[in-house]
Order: sequence, then structure tokens, then C-alpha cells
Amino acid sequence: MSDALHHLQKNALKPKYTGARVTRKEDARLLTGASRYLDDIEIPGMYEIAFVRSQRSAARICAIHLDAAQATPGVKRILTAKECPCFFGSAEDVANGVVQPALARDVVRYVGEPIVAIIAETRYAAEDAVERVQIDYEPLQPVLAMRESLLDQPRRVHEKTPNRMFHSEYQTSGFEDAFQAAPHHLVEVFQTHRQTGVPLETRGLAATIDPGSGRLTIYATHQSPHGLRGDMAVALGIEENELRVIVPEVGGAFGIKAHAYPEYLVVAYAALKYKLPVKWISDRTECLLTDVHARDDIHEVEVAFEGNGRILAIRDHLRADAGAYSAFPFCGAIGETVLASRVLTGPYTIPHLATTIDCTYSNKTPLGAYRGVWGPIASFVQEGIVDRVARALHLDPVEVRRVNMIPDELFPYTNAAGQAYDRGSYRASLEKALEMLNYDELRAQQKTLRDHGKYIGIGISAFVEPTAMAQSEAGSVPYESATIRIEPNGSVTAAFGLGPSGQGHETTMAQLIADELGVDLKDIVVLHGDTDSAPFGGGTGGSRSGPIGGGAALKAGRAMKEKLQTLASHLLEAAKEDVQLEDGKAFVAGVPTRNFSIRELAQVAYTDVLRLPEDFPVGLEVVARYQPKRPVTFSNGTHIAVVEVDAQTGMIEVLDYVVVNDCGRLINPLIVEGQIQGGVAQGLGSAYLEELRYDDQGQVTTTTLADYLLPVATEVPRMRIAHLETPSSGEGGFKGMGEGSLIASPAAFANAVSDALEPFAFMVSALPVTPDQILAAIDRSRDSMA
Amino acid sequence: MSETISLSLTINGKPHTVDVEPRTLLVHLLRDTLQMTGTHIGCDTSQCGACTVLLNGSAVKSCTVLAVQADGEQVTTVEGLGTIENLHPIQQGFWEKHGLQCGFCTPGVMMAATDLLAHNPNPTEEEIRDGLEGVLCRCTGYQNIVRAVQYAAQQMNQQVAAPEVAAEAEGGRG
Amino acid sequence: MKPAPFSYIRVATVEEAANALSEYTDAKLLAGGQSLIPLMNYRLSKPTVLIDLCGIEAFASVSLKDDVFTIRAGITHQSLHEHPLVRAYAPVLAECAGEVGHWAIRNRGTLGGSLAHADPASELPAAMVALDARFVLTSVRGERTVTARDFYLGLFTTDLAEDEILTRIHFFASSANRIHFAEIARRPGDFALSGAFVRVEESATEITWFGVSDMPYHLTLDALPVEEKARQALFTSLASTLEPLDQTVYRRKLAAVVAERAYLKGRRVQA
Repeated sequence: MSDALHHLQKNALKPKYTGARVTRKEDARLLTGASRYLDDIEIPGMYEIAFVRSQRSAARICAIHLDAAQATPGVKRILTAKECPCFFGSAEDVANGVVQPALARDVVRYVGEPIVAIIAETRYAAEDAVERVQIDYEPLQPVLAMRESLLDQPRRVHEKTPNRMFHSEYQTSGFEDAFQAAPHHLVEVFQTHRQTGVPLETRGLAATIDPGSGRLTIYATHQSPHGLRGDMAVALGIEENELRVIVPEVGGAFGIKAHAYPEYLVVAYAALKYKLPVKWISDRTECLLTDVHARDDIHEVEVAFEGNGRILAIRDHLRADAGAYSAFPFCGAIGETVLASRVLTGPYTIPHLATTIDCTYSNKTPLGAYRGVWGPIASFVQEGIVDRVARALHLDPVEVRRVNMIPDELFPYTNAAGQAYDRGSYRASLEKALEMLNYDELRAQQKTLRDHGKYIGIGISAFVEPTAMAQSEAGSVPYESATIRIEPNGSVTAAFGLGPSGQGHETTMAQLIADELGVDLKDIVVLHGDTDSAPFGGGTGGSRSGPIGGGAALKAGRAMKEKLQTLASHLLEAAKEDVQLEDGKAFVAGVPTRNFSIRELAQVAYTDVLRLPEDFPVGLEVVARYQPKRPVTFSNGTHIAVVEVDAQTGMIEVLDYVVVNDCGRLINPLIVEGQIQGGVAQGLGSAYLEELRYDDQGQVTTTTLADYLLPVATEVPRMRIAHLETPSSGEGGFKGMGEGSLIASPAAFANAVSDALEPFAFMVSALPVTPDQILAAIDRSRDSMA
Repeated sequence: MSETISLSLTINGKPHTVDVEPRTLLVHLLRDTLQMTGTHIGCDTSQCGACTVLLNGSAVKSCTVLAVQADGEQVTTVEGLGTIENLHPIQQGFWEKHGLQCGFCTPGVMMAATDLLAHNPNPTEEEIRDGLEGVLCRCTGYQNIVRAVQYAAQQMNQQVAAPEVAAEAEGGRG
Repeated sequence: MKPAPFSYIRVATVEEAANALSEYTDAKLLAGGQSLIPLMNYRLSKPTVLIDLCGIEAFASVSLKDDVFTIRAGITHQSLHEHPLVRAYAPVLAECAGEVGHWAIRNRGTLGGSLAHADPASELPAAMVALDARFVLTSVRGERTVTARDFYLGLFTTDLAEDEILTRIHFFASSANRIHFAEIARRPGDFALSGAFVRVEESATEITWFGVSDMPYHLTLDALPVEEKARQALFTSLASTLEPLDQTVYRRKLAAVVAERAYLKGRRVQA
């Protein structure tokens, strides 16, 4: 038995906070308007930046006319590529001989690409000047369609580089034979359209030279403070100790803030070079144009299966549109396809898989991370396949899932792509969800309602969620760090390299530490987001903060506990193993009156140091790093959506929504449920509402929140949530869970619509599915029947 | 452009007199001129509701009201809702029911909820969802926001039922 | 995304507003600002002078006398939605005012502003066309009255002259009772994909569609077929002549659906 499990069991009886519905420590400042987001930060004498952005998807820049802008009142300085010669190059782009300049030089490659930066006294003045900049373009033919781009048609996005920027192939041995031998086959093309995270707080950056240290200080809305520091230091040509990154309160991130953007380089460079405090905050149109887009994928799928619904083999040609550049520091197109190809068989024992992946450049916004990254796409394909098999064989979709579901006795299970799944509650979560829904009864009702012209659909989505990956988008380090310092008065300060954006880490990490140290939650302060005070870490993303960050919290907590026990045992003249920590005191087991308070111990450790045992270092500080032994741990669960489709209008109403979620041991159910509810809402948006549309010239036509439709309170259903807990083998038994709800829910909503429209022989094959598409499908079916 | 207008308004019960450019939006007056940054900007097109404040008691989106239009009027922002020592029942509800995650939309949502409960002290879940149609939250999926408003409604109705307690709380706020 | 600079004039009376409007070229009237200010934030609208009507005394009154409603243009959508006289005697107007935008937008946006903005997907211009309302337009040249049906000329285009202000709206309460309304939007508060006001009399029917043309689309018919299939076929055939600005096939289909839904609502209420 591992130390971790042993420890877990030893303490299983008495955690006071871990697993409890603890309200959040963060909330006091957030509820009173006292918190400080990026745009709330005021540096004396600060200037604001506004960008002149490309209005063309593909063009040569012939001339930039700045005279009128220079003369605009309030303008301090104007930068073009000449004045700001910085660039970002992701590993993927650099391999292809491509880098993205901070400001476009000579050529623009997508609408919204920054060309000129105006530094002015106020954003109002900067925008006055933006209007007065004139740019002469020589238009180029835009590259917009994936299929054509693959053939370098109509042209190359980067003259010297083929448009196919990534390619890979994979096949299980014996695939062809197994595929050919199967009695049934089906084909389908699945497509997901561009979407993006749309955090309510837009992204941005402020930068200044710190007058105290002379160092560059960057304030950023970002998920990975240390990752950003490293990337910016390289791009600016300075050392990491000459740069301090401070991440203030972050108003939502959802993956888009795991990236660094060209504007960030301009802001930081302006501060560094011209010694100006400057700030740039994206407006909502800039957000929809230039935050990384996501989900621009096509899957051409062939499936081989047996008459009982057992799926034998899947062949998939995956394609994704990377946009004009790889997003920095990682490419969303590659992430979405490569990782989708690894979990395409989901929770099922599908033995054979063959995948081909092609990612291409285009004259569109770079593709990057949005919560779930590959997951929502892979689940949509995988669960779409299952429902198609069911329909082809006239079987209940549940039966096909039962036939294919990985049985409990096969864990740990290695899927067809070589991914090792740890134990979960695959079957149990499906059965539990069906029970919560009263599935059989609902199926009967569905039939009756159909006869009355009401179209109810039940959509099931059984999902796997790879979490806590050794390689994930956020920072790409396989570990997290935690420091704990007990201050001279006995209060506890912990610091993490995480980059939370609403997940409540100040609470959950404090819960874990409080239980280890036996102190009250209110006596712990959790710091993060300042590279001067936080230990180096990967940040938040890829559902890693709970399992890896939490593991670091436990390890650090345990190390501190050990120190306190050593010190107390010396002072109490008791055996160390007999010293217990509870209620802010160290005491001898069974004799609570023989105790030292933590405050007293801290006083000895810092002040009364002559009383310390030999070899005991002065002070009470520890740093711990946790790297899980497994490269990934899989959460799982089942979502079921019940919808009604209005066959007259194509409009969809969600009637019920059930979630059974297993993310291992729960730290705080309140927070876990909040994450699930938010992810399901985003899934509703992904399935029905949200789409970044391009016209045939490469112009984004959805540039406000009146066009890019986010879910509102009236659309999102009340969800019913149940938890199953299959602990991971990692520290604490935690698994990640930040993305699972958005991984599972688009497929559940899509399948529910497909199920409702079964009488019309329609299945959703592209997301989002919109009312006009639904109505057109119903009409086609009616026409063909007539 | 340098033309400015002097205006006087009451914000959270305190009178302010300021000079602003006519084009200054109310949200920028609050945030930039008066440094009251609890009110947030989320979209600039009146879609998201992050900037919702009360103007003479009614919820408005302060990104689509000019500061000069608030001349002589009463504005209430999240900073005027309750203090950390004495939270408004709506703030308590959001805390108790985990009605917020990143917190960015929360001030606007709470101001919209204030107007909602002023109009309808006993809203059904459906009425709460309808009443919050103009505020977007990207984190919570709204379920806990609904519970938060229900909690607040209950608390406020109890306070009405027990006026002496309410008066005490009022006094405590100072 | 901030407005371009402008000069600001706040007026206390309609006369002052009319004077200012005639004095400055390139001036715009500001009422609730719920359409104008977003456009200004985007710099799609850049007036040099803004004349703010929100200080005009008693610019938001509603009265009903001898079957004639008189509503002054400054009333907000929310006040219109909640007004007891409107609720009692022109319930369809109260109902559709409640569908305009979101609550916080309705608290600010005004009837006059919406009518003059002439968004083709907006409820209120179509309501006025359905009600056969009269608009009183005021300028330094005097007052004139124009019917809502003549007022709308096209996409965001009206008969309002550059120096005129829409100040009052009149319509008959007796006609309001027989008009019913239905609309379909992606989300509550969004502009309608399609909406219809249907007025059913014994011998005649009027339909006013919105969201499916460049402006409210009004037509008068004989009595509608009582038989459902025939009636829907008629709506479908009428809708097939509409020219929506986008999603042509879909919006035409929805137009037939909303007409039927408004009709059925009317039949239920009048039964």
C-alpha cells in the first residue's frame, strides 16, 4: 500500500473540512465589490492602449498612415512592427518555420490581427486615434476551408510553409481484418463549429517598471503565472528574475487565458522600452475576434459493429483548422485532434481504432484552448456513434451502451489508443443516472407524447475525462508546488503556483491544509498569482488543480504537521507518534490537557529558539511538490438530457437534466456541483447557441454578444446531480473535474435532439445545431414521406 | 473634446459633484473617476448586465447610460448594497448558496436581483430566471444564483415579519 | 469601445428640444439610449450634438379619454408594460412591451425611441402599425400627425424629418382589444426571428408581421378560414411573399407559425 493510501485511511475518520460543503473564503471580497480584477488596477500615470486591427483576413500591408492619429489629443506614442519587433513562436509553428509577430508586419493573416498600437492618456483618446489610422491593403485570396487548405488551395497562408501544419497516423494491429470482417458498418461526418470561452472578464495586461526594484511588473488575467513569466521573459529578452507577474482576481478563464497573446508583448514591451505604465483591456468585440477560438474540427468516421450492438472498430479522419498561427504556447488544433484520438472510444471496450490527423493553417483566428479542449468533440463523436449503432439496429441506446461499457473487472483498462484508465464507476454511473431519470417510464411517455405531436428526446452521454495529465495545456509541468509557513503568531500562510479563475482554490486548498494541521479554516490564508510569493507551478487548466495542486497541499500539510509533531514531542517530552494536532493545539493522545497551542509552538520556532530541539531548523516553513505517479487519472460519469423539440419552429426546450459524476474523493461538493452546473450550461451553449461564424471573405460576423449567443438563466435547466466516489491512487484520492461537465453535455444535448427527431430520421451531426437546421430537417423528412 | 460638464449625483447615499466629458459612460464615471470598481464592464452593448446598477431604484445597464444623464439622480452600486460586517440578504444568499464563482458578473447580478425582489418579494423559480434574463453568468449555470435569490427573498421576508430585528440590523450598519 | 466626442444639451421642454434640433446640424435625440448608446460605443453613430430628452417634464404620461389612448413618447417600456390603463385596455401593448430587451433595458428604453429607431425586428413599431396608431411629430415648424403605417419607410428609415421629434402616440382602445400577439426569439429578450400581431374581426383580419421584412409588414384579409389546415395554408402562402433580411426560408416558416399562434390566442381570449 502506498504511503498516500495508508495516510488516507489512517485519517479517514476525522477530516473536518475535506468533503464538507464549506462556503468559500474568496466570497467576502467578491460580494462587496472590493476585489481587484485587472481593469480595477490603477497605476499612477498609467496610459491605455487601443489597437488598430486588420479588417482583412488576408492582405499585404502597403502603407500605414499615422499622421492624423499622431495629432490626436491625448496620444503619447504609436507603435508598429518596426517599433515593437517582438514575436511569439510556439513549438509547433517554429517547427514549420513560422512565428507570430506582436504587430503584423507586411502581411495580415486574420481579421482582428493587431497592426498598430496607440498609447494614449485614456482609452477614449486611444480609440479616437485608432479611428484616424488609415491602412492601405492589397487583398490576397483568403484560405478558409479545411479541405482545400490541405491541398494548399487557394494558396499558402505562410508562403514558405505548406498549409498542413500537423499530420499523424495510428492504427491498432489487426484493424483492417477486424473492420472488414464485421457484419455491419456505418459512416458519418461529424463537425463542430468555432466557439470560444467568453469569460465575463475579458483578457488583458498591464505593465510597469516597479520603481522599487527596477524590474518589469506585469499584471495579467492568466491561468499560469509562472508559465506566462517564462514565456514573456524569453520573448522580451530578459531574465525571469527581472520580471514579476501578478495575476489579480480573474473573472473566468475557461482555457482562453491559458494562452499568451501578441497584445501582451506589445504592452510589456512598451512598459520596458519607454518606461511607461500601460494597460490594455480587450473589449467584447476584440474578445470574439481574437481570443483563441476552439472546436473547429471535422471527423470523418467509419464504424464496424455486430448485430447485438457491440462496436468492433472505428476509423476516423480527424481534421482541425489551426487558424493563421498556432496559438501560443500550444496549438489548439493539435490538442483537440491528438487528444480526441486518444479517448475516442470513451468508456467502451472498442478493440480497434485507426486515426489519421491533419491540422491546417487558414486565414482565421488561431485555435486554442476552451474548457474540455478535445473532450466535447470526442464525446460528441463517440456518443453519436453509439446512438447511430442503436438506431441502425433498432436497439435502445442504453442497451448498446451496456453491451460496450468497460466492465468493472477489466480495470485498470488500456483503451484502443493505448490510454490507461484507472478504476471508475462506468457501469454504475450509467445505471444510477437511468434510475434518477426513471428511464423506462420516460421512454413509455415519449411514445405516447409522440402520438400527440409532441417530440421529446432523451440524450445519454457516458463520458471519460482525462485529468491531472502530466502534459497539459497549463504550463506543461507534471507537478504542483505548495509552500506553508506558520507565522510567528501561529496563523498559517500557504502559497501555490495555481492560477484560479473562480474555482475556489483559496477554500479547497485551505480545507486540505486545515485538516492536516488541525487548525480552523479561518486561520489559513492561501496565496497565489504572484510569482514573487508563489512557488513555481504549472497553473490551472486541464482539470489538474484539485488532484495535483490538492496533492501538493496534502504533502506540504503533512510535512508541516511532521515539523509541529517533532517540536511538540520535544517540548511535551512525549513520543512523536503520540502527538496529535486538533483545534489549533498539539497534544498527547488521550491527554488533551498536555498540549501546546500552534501559536506557542510558533513562538518557540521563531523567537524562543533556544528551546528548539537539536537539528530543528529555526522557523516553520515547508515547500512540497507533488507529481502524481500516473501520467493521467480518469474521471467518469453519465449525463442525460431530456428535451422537447417544437416541430413547428425547431426550438428546443430542456425539460430535465441528470448528472452522475465520479471525480474520486470530493474535497468540497458545493464547489464540485458549481463546476458541473456551469459546465452543463456551457454545454447547452455549445450544442445549441454558440457559433463564431465567418463569411466567405473570412470576416467574423458574430462580433457582439447579441450575435454570439450565450446561455441565459431561462434556457439553462435545473440539474439533478449525484456523486459516486472512486478514489484515484494519487494523493488524497482526488481526480480532476473542471471539464467533465462540458465534455459530456454537448453530446447529451445533441443525442437528445436526435432522439426527439427519430420519427423524422434525423441525427445531429454538426454542433451547434440550430432551430433553422432542425426545421429544415423535419421538412425534408416530411417531403420525402409525402 | 476637452469640453466637460459638471454634474451632481448621489451614489450610495453620498453626494458627489464631478466634471466629466459628455461622452463618459456612467460605468466609467463610477469606475475611473470615482474609483468605485465593484461595477464591471463585460460587453459594451447592454447584453451581459455585468454593469447593472440601480438608477433611482431601477436596474439599468451603466454601459448604456451617459454619466450626464444621471445628473441629479440616485445611483446604487454593489458598494452600497451591504458591508462585509453587515451583508445584504442578497449577498448572504450568494455566499451561502455558492451563487458565484469568478465573481465578475456577481455585482451586476445582485443589483438586478435587488430590483427583482423589490418588484416581487416572493418570486417563483421561473420568475427569478425571467427576471435575470438580462444578466449573463458564464461560471455557475445559474442554478445556485436562483437558490441565492430564493434564500435572499426568504431572509428579507423574515426581516419584514420581524421589524425590530430589521431595525437593529439597520442601526448596526451605521 | 467608447463613444466619439460630442456636445451635450439637456432640454426641459419639447419646445427647447425642437429649437435645439433645428439649430444644430448632425444632432441626434437621446431618449433612453438603449439602441443609440451601443451604436455610439461602437462608433457606428457619431453625432456631434446630443439632445437629451430625459429631462422633459411629464414626457411619460398615459391617458385614455373617449376611447383614445394618448401616450407621450418618453414612457419607458417597463412603465408601458406595467401601466394599469394599458394593461386593462390595451393588453397586447402591455404584453409586447414586456418582451422588449431585458428588464434593465426596459427600465431605460422609451417608446418614442424605439418607434423612431425603426428596428425591423422590434415589437413596438409593429404594435403601432397593428393598432393603426397616429404619431404626433413636433418641430419648430409646428406639429403634424402621421399614421404609423405611413411612418415606416424601410430599414431603420422613417418619415421623421431631421428637425422633428416624435412626441405623442394616439390609438383607439377599442381596436387594441382584438389584437393578439406572438413572437419567436432565440432567447428571451433577443430580437424576434419572427413576430405577428393578428386582429380578427367578424369579416376581416389584419396581420402585422415583424422581423421578417425591412419594416413592419401589414396586410388586411377577409375572414380567416376556421378550418385549421386551410388557415395555416393561407398563412404559409402569405408568408412566402415576405422578404426577410436573412434566413429567408426559416423566417417565412416562422411567420406562418406566429400568425397562427397569435390567431389562436385571440380565439381563446375572445371565446
